[in-house]
Amino acid sequence: MPRIRLENIVKRFGTVAAADDLSLTVNDGEYLCILGPTGAGKTTCMRIICGLTDPDSGHVYFDDRDVTRLEVNMREATMLSQVYSLFPQMNVYENVMFGPLIKEWDEESSRQMVKNIFHMVHMEERVNAYPNELSGGQQQRIALARALASGSKILLLDEPLRALDARLRLELRKELRSMVKEMGLTAVHVTHDQEEALEMADRIAVIRDGRIIQVGTPKEVFEEPKTPFVANFVGRSNMIEGVIASAEGDVATVTGNGGTVFKARYTDRAVGSKVLVAVKIGNTKISLTEDGYFKGRIERKLYEGATITVEVNVPDIGTVSVKLPNRKFDDFEIDDEVSVNWSPEKAFVFDYPENGLEDELRVD
Amino acid sequence: MSLIKRIDELSSKRNFKRGWFGLVCAVFVFLIIIPAIYVLFEAVAEWDAVSDVLNDASAMSTIWTAVYNSFSIAFIVTIIDIIVGLPMAWIMVRKQFAGKKYIDTLIDMPLAVPTAVLGISVVMFWGAPSGVTIPGLGWVLTPYLMMVLLHIIFTYPYMVRSLSAILEQIDPNYETAGMTLGASRFTAARTITLPLFRAGLTTGFILCFARSLSETGGTFIALEMMGMSNVFFTGPTYIQVYKATSMGPVILISVIMIILAILLLFVAKYIMNKVRIPWSRVWPKWERKISRGLAVRSRDVITMGVLLFIVLIPAFYIFTYMTASGAPVNYGDLTLAIATSFLIAGIAVVFDVVFGIPMAMYIARHGDTRLGRALDNLVNVPLIIPTTALGVSLSLFWGHFDLSSFTLLLVVLGHISFTYPLMVRNIIGAMEEVDVSYEEVALTLGAKPFQAFRKVLLPIIKSSVIAGGILAFTRSLGETGATVAISSTVMTAPIYIMNLVKAGSITGDYYAAAISSIILIVICFILMFMVRRVTRDKEGNE
Repeated sequence: MPRIRLENIVKRFGTVAAADDLSLTVNDGEYLCILGPTGAGKTTCMRIICGLTDPDSGHVYFDDRDVTRLEVNMREATMLSQVYSLFPQMNVYENVMFGPLIKEWDEESSRQMVKNIFHMVHMEERVNAYPNELSGGQQQRIALARALASGSKILLLDEPLRALDARLRLELRKELRSMVKEMGLTAVHVTHDQEEALEMADRIAVIRDGRIIQVGTPKEVFEEPKTPFVANFVGRSNMIEGVIASAEGDVATVTGNGGTVFKARYTDRAVGSKVLVAVKIGNTKISLTEDGYFKGRIERKLYEGATITVEVNVPDIGTVSVKLPNRKFDDFEIDDEVSVNWSPEKAFVFDYPENGLEDELRVD
Repeated sequence: MSLIKRIDELSSKRNFKRGWFGLVCAVFVFLIIIPAIYVLFEAVAEWDAVSDVLNDASAMSTIWTAVYNSFSIAFIVTIIDIIVGLPMAWIMVRKQFAGKKYIDTLIDMPLAVPTAVLGISVVMFWGAPSGVTIPGLGWVLTPYLMMVLLHIIFTYPYMVRSLSAILEQIDPNYETAGMTLGASRFTAARTITLPLFRAGLTTGFILCFARSLSETGGTFIALEMMGMSNVFFTGPTYIQVYKATSMGPVILISVIMIILAILLLFVAKYIMNKVRIPWSRVWPKWERKISRGLAVRSRDVITMGVLLFIVLIPAFYIFTYMTASGAPVNYGDLTLAIATSFLIAGIAVVFDVVFGIPMAMYIARHGDTRLGRALDNLVNVPLIIPTTALGVSLSLFWGHFDLSSFTLLLVVLGHISFTYPLMVRNIIGAMEEVDVSYEEVALTLGAKPFQAFRKVLLPIIKSSVIAGGILAFTRSLGETGATVAISSTVMTAPIYIMNLVKAGSITGDYYAAAISSIILIVICFILMFMVRRVTRDKEGNE
């Protein structure tokens, strides 16, 4: 099983940079999710790995072999497209045998191998079915089986769950990951769904405007975001502007608009520097009785099932959202005045973005 | 097998891909486009002969009348096709009724009949030889009217097909949404679905117009049978008649026809794309009235009536000759002529498949690039040029290469020119429906590009390739104008029949021509039936 290494990849389409000096390593047997908004260059990155798109410059390595100019069909990196692309004129068996036949492997041993694969994906009973007779989940399993049977060591999944019903999508997250792991493949999974990435990936690479902004385990990316964008894209955050007033011990004190004062995690930024403080909405607390950093009025509350979201309008600061367990739903009413609070170590301090807050958080 | 393997191997080389596409483009430009419009250059080179004609007032008036006849007939015919074709397309796509399958086949049938045969059949139906008195109306059919009646028959299927192809892709939900918002069925169809039709209308318009403009054999035969072929001209019959005697007028009229046709192509595209027709005005009361009951039923009856009495019966009236008798048919010559036709059409279709599929794939996949758009427009050029003018152009072009002893080859090249666009258009349509990911996934599974093409893509677009092949084959089989313009010795089936008609117009005995025609029609039908059968069987097995 190979390790994939992208080195300083550049790819432009007209004036748009789909990959802008992009570097990324995917470890042997790892399940890596590339997470980013639409148009960030996720798909381009994947197509460069399998050779469907040539980079303008930069190199692609499988282990230590430079495959940048290697033909698609020689790379043993199989793409699983959004719609799975099972060949409509072939039945399930023929689809899975496509790779072995193309490569002219010994027929008897291929047949045995394919049989084992069908067993692995629990599809022995449907080998004579045509793709249009299969459910979305079954199609996905066959597409996986086909990739495995072709001898691929690398699996590239382009939003593989997008075309499925919401419920099925959740179920298949686990199934897809465990099958890929069982097959022992190195997998790169492209998605714009942060929950999907958090749940499935060994590591997540957050991509934006053709650059990888952060790579790390789901826990790292969620809990230690490197930029305001990551903080907001992987689990929503409240973003509050301010100026560093002081910093000592583990805690920094920040002065916000309208003279508000609040605490955040320690930073070595100079007193007086303009910063952005990000607090995950799940780490933001509100209270009717206790004191907080500032007070606001409840504007809206949404019931979401296991959780609720309460939106608080704070003068001079704007809307602050709070995620709470659903049992708190009846504790708060619209127009209640509440105080807003958080533990300082959960509030990340970032430099105020050069191009403004809106540009930094933009997802398009 | 080893050849295919070698192509498989080659196809994964970058240079080979580029080289192959270069070859496809070169073939298209040098074998199809340049010879097709070469007459424009020849007109400059032979300016003396051309300017003599320009100074000859009487010759010029004949030429302009012929050009006017061609374009006005094509225009009238196309408009009629739209009027009668639209409800037919509607019925075929949106309605379910018993016997729909048969109507579907009937609509295509005139395409399988060589136009030369249609010419005989139509004149016989409406009455020959010297203009017809329609019983009870006291009308006399002028040659002009006869031409309109004739041209409707072989353009009608193109219109119905192009319109229904688009209609099938238009989601009926738009219309339903319109109706739930309070529009009557007619208003909804007219204001919502019809504007989405533009693409289909453009294709249908270009196909019908071009087909009518090009038609030579049937037109000439009909005029010959009416005894008018030296008095009444369309552009192509003018070339047909004068080709042997004087090159000046022939070059001039070819140039005029080609330039007008290409101009028209771009004007038509521009109008369809840019000009907004004020669809949004509504007359709710009036439109509600014609949305149901008698109005709808009479629309259906009239539509079917047109199909039956204007298209089908005149087209197949020739079969009444089976009970007549006359001079015997020379079956040896007929067989030879039919074999020649099949040979030419067969080679042309094979060529179209080999060089047309890659071209169509490129246009479908790169339609947004400059080269893609340019090729897309260029492909239409041989389609719109009248085939007789194209034949003149082609023979002038190859005349410089001393290929006079390979006339059959030249005729094949001519037939390739006007069938190639039909094939390419058909496949572009199919390719646009196929997700590019099938091929890409096949590549990532280890298939070489040519393997991915023949094992994955080709089976998916197979039915369109076959449909394009049938279209190209029958079109080639029915062609007279281009063949005559290129060579006076190559005897194809329609030319053989045309000669029989010429002989018949002296003796008044059309039996041999009619029987030969019937045999040709029957062979065409058997062939089409077999092709459909074979392809359907295969699909069933998979």
